[in-house]
Amino acid sequence: MTPASSPAGPDHSRQELMVIEAARDLRDGDIVFVGTGLPMLATTLAQRTHAPNVVMVIESGVIAPQVRPTPISVSDPKVMHRAVKLGTLREVLGCLLQRGMIDVGFLGGAQIDRFANINSTVVGRGSTQRRLPGSGGANDMASHCRRLLIITHHERRRFPERCDYVTSPGFLDGPGGRERAGLSPDFAVTVVTDLAVLENDPQTCALRIAALMPGVTVEEVLAEIGFRPEVAPQVRTVASPTPDQLRLLRDELDPERVYLKAEESATTSRR
Amino acid sequence: MMSETRQRTRDKVLTAAEAVARYVRPGAVLGMGGQNIGRCPMALTHEIIRQRIGRLTVVGCNLSIGMDQLVAAGLVRRTESGSGNLERFGVTFCWRRAIENGSLEVEDYSHLAMVSRFLAGEMGAPFMPTRSLLGSDLLPATGEAGKAVVIEDPWNPGQRVALVPALQPEVSIVHVQRADPSGNIIIEGFATHEPEMIRASHHVIISCEELVSTEEIRAHPERTTIPFLYVDAVVVQPYGAYPTSTYGHYDYDAAHVAAYQEAAREGSPAVDEYLRRYVWGCATFDEYLALAAGSERLIALRRAMEEML
Repeated sequence: MTPASSPAGPDHSRQELMVIEAARDLRDGDIVFVGTGLPMLATTLAQRTHAPNVVMVIESGVIAPQVRPTPISVSDPKVMHRAVKLGTLREVLGCLLQRGMIDVGFLGGAQIDRFANINSTVVGRGSTQRRLPGSGGANDMASHCRRLLIITHHERRRFPERCDYVTSPGFLDGPGGRERAGLSPDFAVTVVTDLAVLENDPQTCALRIAALMPGVTVEEVLAEIGFRPEVAPQVRTVASPTPDQLRLLRDELDPERVYLKAEESATTSRR
Repeated sequence: MMSETRQRTRDKVLTAAEAVARYVRPGAVLGMGGQNIGRCPMALTHEIIRQRIGRLTVVGCNLSIGMDQLVAAGLVRRTESGSGNLERFGVTFCWRRAIENGSLEVEDYSHLAMVSRFLAGEMGAPFMPTRSLLGSDLLPATGEAGKAVVIEDPWNPGQRVALVPALQPEVSIVHVQRADPSGNIIIEGFATHEPEMIRASHHVIISCEELVSTEEIRAHPERTTIPFLYVDAVVVQPYGAYPTSTYGHYDYDAAHVAAYQEAAREGSPAVDEYLRRYVWGCATFDEYLALAAGSERLIALRRAMEEML
């Protein structure tokens, strides 16, 4: 990620545009269950721009905070700033999420397969296996949200045909999979990466390429996916950021570049 | 000692050494409070390590730096939780290493599934239904029992629902802001899974920032998070969650968390050296605070919290 030489343009990095594009996916008034890191950065950006009435709910029990930049954990006091309620896991995961009151679940990177199943438990098998942190609230978010929004750095190893372990259910084995398992079929997934936007095809349930970052080709995306995604009938190009979005992101929301420049360490710390 | 009888005295104030010796026995199922870098019961964890109480099954929702240090000390046989990590500071490295080399049993749930298990435990119900876990590999393979089972919802034929078993830890350790000598406790700010876990536990050791009088509790009973009936021991330990934060009191110490994580990531001998220096090398938690932080640092963390709120 070298902002200056990025084909996305001289004035912003693809990573910045990824955060901005994910923010655009939130609608004003959405109740969003947010993880820390890039999801929280994008949600805060949405609140400061087109969606001031987005309500954040955070797993540690925090409801509707006005987050101070730049929190690094769901238990960071910065996520609790001016909340309306500091409650419990049961209140947010049970009484809001499982109860059906959350519109969007917003998660950071992990392993995501063709049917949008997510693995954050263990990758590889036998002697090469690598243990990851586990579900946390991710399984609960994927089980109970109507929309799942995922933001992740685009790497081939993150997009296998089938996850080694399904921590959090996407469409499981395809059409009808969620109903057969006992989950609500009222479900949609959007994955925003630094190369593209992937969405589930409403018929086949498989992830397909819905949009490309400026200057990125379909071939480049295909080279970084472990399965062969369809390409949506009308692939759009992700709109460039406005000066205001970039200024907010750089000067106010992540001024110390906790997430924006150091993304590589964010992903490697999980390995 | 480990009978169902809870401590009924009015004055439950003990030192950490006394409380841990009395209520944490080898092989216990140990519930841990806190989450990630918030309000982890570090003073009580250090005391368990100092007394080398082993073969523990550690349970919680997110298990964090405290659990990882118990694993580093070789005291954990098994964990049951929704996650093991410190978010931005990485995974719980000693836990990960122990799972990968087969020396630690691990049972994975989601956070809601763990809360549901404590919820069943605190209400004296045998299990709790949830629609989490369905379809995922967190459910055991067909025929395997124990962890969770899927049944048809008796009131909605054709609808599947997962049942998770009640969890009643033998003893839980939790760090809170305020408590009185009889064990009435006040948790300020986010409370994670602690209210359910505390009420589900057979014994509870509380460490607190501040000891208040029972008169003060009785003057404002609406502020009490958990009444004394559930609590066996109260340990007064300011900064008892350090290097994690305590809401309203002090921020986390990023430098010290990172220093532990570096040692934990490296493994032996770096992490052994960390424990020797900061746990076994300190007779009390106050000694550790002086060594790891010092009074100026601790005051700065207090100021950082004040500025944030």
